[in-house]
Amino acid sequence: MLAPSAVILGTFIIYPLIRAIWLGRQRCNPQGKNCDTTGWGQYTDVWRSEEFQQAIWVTIKFTLIVVPLGVALGVGLAVLADKYLGGIGVFRAIFSSTVATSVAVASLMWFFLLEPSLGVVANIGWINDLFPVVKEPGLLNDPGTALGSVALSSVWAGLGFTFILVTAGLQGIPADLHEAATIDGAGGTRRFWNVTLPLLGPTLLFVVVVLTTRAFQAYGEMDLLTSGGPAPQDSTTTVTYLVYGDTSEVRSDGGLQATTAVWLFVVLMGLALVQLRGLGRRVHYGN
Amino acid sequence: MATSAVPAMNRVTGWRAVGRYGLLIALSALVLFPIYTTVIAAFKPADKVLDNRLVPDSFTLDIFRDAWTEGRLGRFLLNSLVVAVVVTVAQVITSVLSAYSFSLIEFPGRNVLFLLFLATLLVPLEATLVVNRQTIDSLGWLNSYQGLAVPFLATAFGTFLMRQVFLTLPRDMRDAATIDGVGHLGFLRHVAVPLVRPTIGALALFSFLSTWNMYLWPTLVTTEEDFGTVQSGLKLLKSRALDTPNLVIAGTVIAAIPIFLVLLIFQRQLVRGLTAGAVKG
Amino acid sequence: MNTMRQQHQRRGWQVRAGVLVAGALVAVACSSGESILDAGLPPPDTVPVPPTAGPDGSVATTIPATTTTTPLADLPPCPIEALEEASGTVELTFWHGMNNELEDALTELTNEYNAGQDKVRVTLQNQGGYNETIDKYFQSGPGGRPEIVQMPEYMVQQTADSDSTVPIGACFEGTGFDDSAFLPRALNAYQTGGVQWSMPFNVSNPILYYNKKIFEDAGLDPEKPPQTLTELRQYSKKIVDSGAARFGIAFDTGQDNGGGWFLEQWFSKGKELFADNANGRSAPATQVMYNNDFGVELLTEVQSLVADGLAVNVGANPSGQDSFLKLADQENPAAMTIGTSAALGTIKVVLDGGLIPGLTSDQFGIGPMPGPDEQPGVLVGGASLHIVADQGDAEAAASWDYIQHLVTAEAQSFWASKTGYVPVRTDALDLQPLKKTYRDDPRFKVAYDQLTASSDDPSSSGPVIGPLREIRAVNSDAVSAIFGGADVAATLEEAAAQSNRLIRNYNARN
Repeated sequence: MLAPSAVILGTFIIYPLIRAIWLGRQRCNPQGKNCDTTGWGQYTDVWRSEEFQQAIWVTIKFTLIVVPLGVALGVGLAVLADKYLGGIGVFRAIFSSTVATSVAVASLMWFFLLEPSLGVVANIGWINDLFPVVKEPGLLNDPGTALGSVALSSVWAGLGFTFILVTAGLQGIPADLHEAATIDGAGGTRRFWNVTLPLLGPTLLFVVVVLTTRAFQAYGEMDLLTSGGPAPQDSTTTVTYLVYGDTSEVRSDGGLQATTAVWLFVVLMGLALVQLRGLGRRVHYGN
Repeated sequence: MATSAVPAMNRVTGWRAVGRYGLLIALSALVLFPIYTTVIAAFKPADKVLDNRLVPDSFTLDIFRDAWTEGRLGRFLLNSLVVAVVVTVAQVITSVLSAYSFSLIEFPGRNVLFLLFLATLLVPLEATLVVNRQTIDSLGWLNSYQGLAVPFLATAFGTFLMRQVFLTLPRDMRDAATIDGVGHLGFLRHVAVPLVRPTIGALALFSFLSTWNMYLWPTLVTTEEDFGTVQSGLKLLKSRALDTPNLVIAGTVIAAIPIFLVLLIFQRQLVRGLTAGAVKG
Repeated sequence: MNTMRQQHQRRGWQVRAGVLVAGALVAVACSSGESILDAGLPPPDTVPVPPTAGPDGSVATTIPATTTTTPLADLPPCPIEALEEASGTVELTFWHGMNNELEDALTELTNEYNAGQDKVRVTLQNQGGYNETIDKYFQSGPGGRPEIVQMPEYMVQQTADSDSTVPIGACFEGTGFDDSAFLPRALNAYQTGGVQWSMPFNVSNPILYYNKKIFEDAGLDPEKPPQTLTELRQYSKKIVDSGAARFGIAFDTGQDNGGGWFLEQWFSKGKELFADNANGRSAPATQVMYNNDFGVELLTEVQSLVADGLAVNVGANPSGQDSFLKLADQENPAAMTIGTSAALGTIKVVLDGGLIPGLTSDQFGIGPMPGPDEQPGVLVGGASLHIVADQGDAEAAASWDYIQHLVTAEAQSFWASKTGYVPVRTDALDLQPLKKTYRDDPRFKVAYDQLTASSDDPSSSGPVIGPLREIRAVNSDAVSAIFGGADVAATLEEAAAQSNRLIRNYNARN
């Protein structure tokens, strides 16, 4: 009964990982041939290289925008839509809606918004006047705004997910706790910080873990919106994009690509271990 | 949603309600803006797509026909559907089988093997893609449903998830079944699986969504349009359609519709599905 | 209880592993300042630089005979007779990167071929662009490869070195193919080591696209586009000063455009070699030469256009469309841009279709690519057709049959008039529809005229360098930095050093 899973996982996860670690000691020609082994030093060289350090830094910056902003917006919207108002269902549906967009769909929508010459946002007069960068050179083309703009599309695409989970979390908070707090004279703001937020803890932890992992692996947004640019700083080249991107220098050397991919694995594994530790309690005592 | 149990003081009335409605409407407008502009652009006639009017003055459905035929969205949707369904069904089956082995069958080395399974959760897809592409190539599976689906037919995450619920099943239940002469598969089919149906539903929804949304893999293992999925199809559409931006826009809308419907239908499983997925991400 | 302990132990292991990983990362976390492309390679100073012809001016005056000739006999043969012997229909797959109108025209030519005989059936597979085609081709083993692949001109050496194609020269020999009507330049572009590796099919070069209406508004003659970079500056200044448009010209830094390709073109126009050993054509190139005085002067001039607000940089522009979109911008348009002639057909169709509000197809004019001096002349760009080896004799023979169909005078006449490509043979100009197109719409002929006007200087044959694609990526970053205000000489110096390491690594591995 174990065989099907074992075969698939062995062939498509364990074997390729080991092979990639092995290949990562090699340099090849752009045709993927004549590889020769340079040794394990290639791993340290790659890690210390300018491009990799830059990509790690971009990845961290991207995550630091996407996660806090995504969580704050998700919680804000969920709390706002948690109050009893007629027709709240409509608003809930709207705030959940972006969960239906895949990364390709969301990125293309944002592309047509932000493209500087013909995009919708770039051609709204007052936005142009207020923020000239929207037009010249365009939010996705300016080294200062490109990463933030890509992150914004990512936050938007992830909003539905966060909203749905936080809403579910809010409904799990017993109403009498709020009542008790109110009787004790706690106002709305204090109730939010002292009751709602702590009780949302597990949900938020969850959301943070997912958004962080997603942000570290983000690829489609960069591929469709900026191609890792703008050059020369490669402002949106994350580690994943460095490994696979259409315009990445690493892509045409199978060995170098493997080295970088293995580093990506190590970084993500480090991240996952930290997360598992955080989640450990929940996984253990949950269910 | 549990609105009937809302306590009295959570009700918002008077000016505060007006203010809150205003805020909600404003925020809804912001969230919907990208969707709105895309949808109206798709309905504009070809020569007005780029006029940037937020309120269009004419509508046409022409482009959806073009996106379907010329953009081959129909074919891409079909491929995505086939792959997502195959992967979902297979992941559920393989996860249930391996989870059952890990929870209700004793065998030597079980814990080590389970740890090894769990360890694969730490390996991101991105680290294995290059070698997996070579494997698929050497199997002659480029441009095939096998190539798109096979690497994902099993998941350690599903195994873990199902094992967790199987462990909650009382041991006596299995023992009683053994005494009655019911084999493992019989027990699984008639007793265990029916009991854990909600978790299976959540796993299935999660598998379906993540397979449907897969972006990098389909672009790596397909060189023929015939085997493009919706996501890789959109990438192709974007690079090809300088002359027809409305085709890309309409394609974007079409690509989003099925998943929207799936989510509408499976609303109730959604939270569980997303939560289940959250463990892996 | 047992599971509890295991959980604990596992968590203990996680902590230790986490600490270990974190420690290891911190240990190496300081940046070396080296490029990732040097990873695993010995430091540059320990490898002696091979002696080269050098940029000292020891340059031949005519196209040199290649010295590194590979005998055709050592290469995969072209089994032309195998098609006759084949039973049934031979199925061919053709990977290409043609989009928009180009794809439509290629489909039409292919349908015509498929309908015209029943021995061969060709299936087109659009890979999305050159980049995707190249990546997928080299990632694939023989089983995953098509029978025919389209490769751009900068891939000549790399494809030849991959030993995965049948040199088309062998087919020329086998059939006694008459190439007398072909543009020698087009054939030459796809030769290296004395071998004709592939068949030129879609020949393009960069041309100037400009908005005639803006020219008029600025008081410029809409029929006289700027010929040189100096004139380009004068025109742009007039356009910007008069308020006719926000920018004179839109540049991009894409590696197949302003960031890479144009640089090679400008070197050719300036009769300067881009790489040593006569652009890699007398012997394998060992170093690039674009960091010389000419290069610094050239890019300083271009940089000043941007710095003075006369030009706008639209970025890396991977799809090649952003600089055109800047011409269509409603609020801050540019009056001109340089782009491939291959976009001409598509742009005409887009504008005729009314897609761009307020811009008609009659409104845009075409001029030759402005360069460092009055010289016309450009390099061959575009792509060629390769027969992939090891796909079967009948398949190779069928591919040759199909390729011949794509380069007949009739096919090229249709192809050029539909797309804006330069026909690969002169007799295509005498046939309809190209004859009419060139007469009625001279914009289509600009690319042809400037290509055929090129001199016989060795610099008129583009660089053949193994890692030229990778070098273009390096140059794209350099040009982008220069547009951003970086010191030209230092930036070029650094880019050239990086390119030379790429070349050395490539040559050591091939």
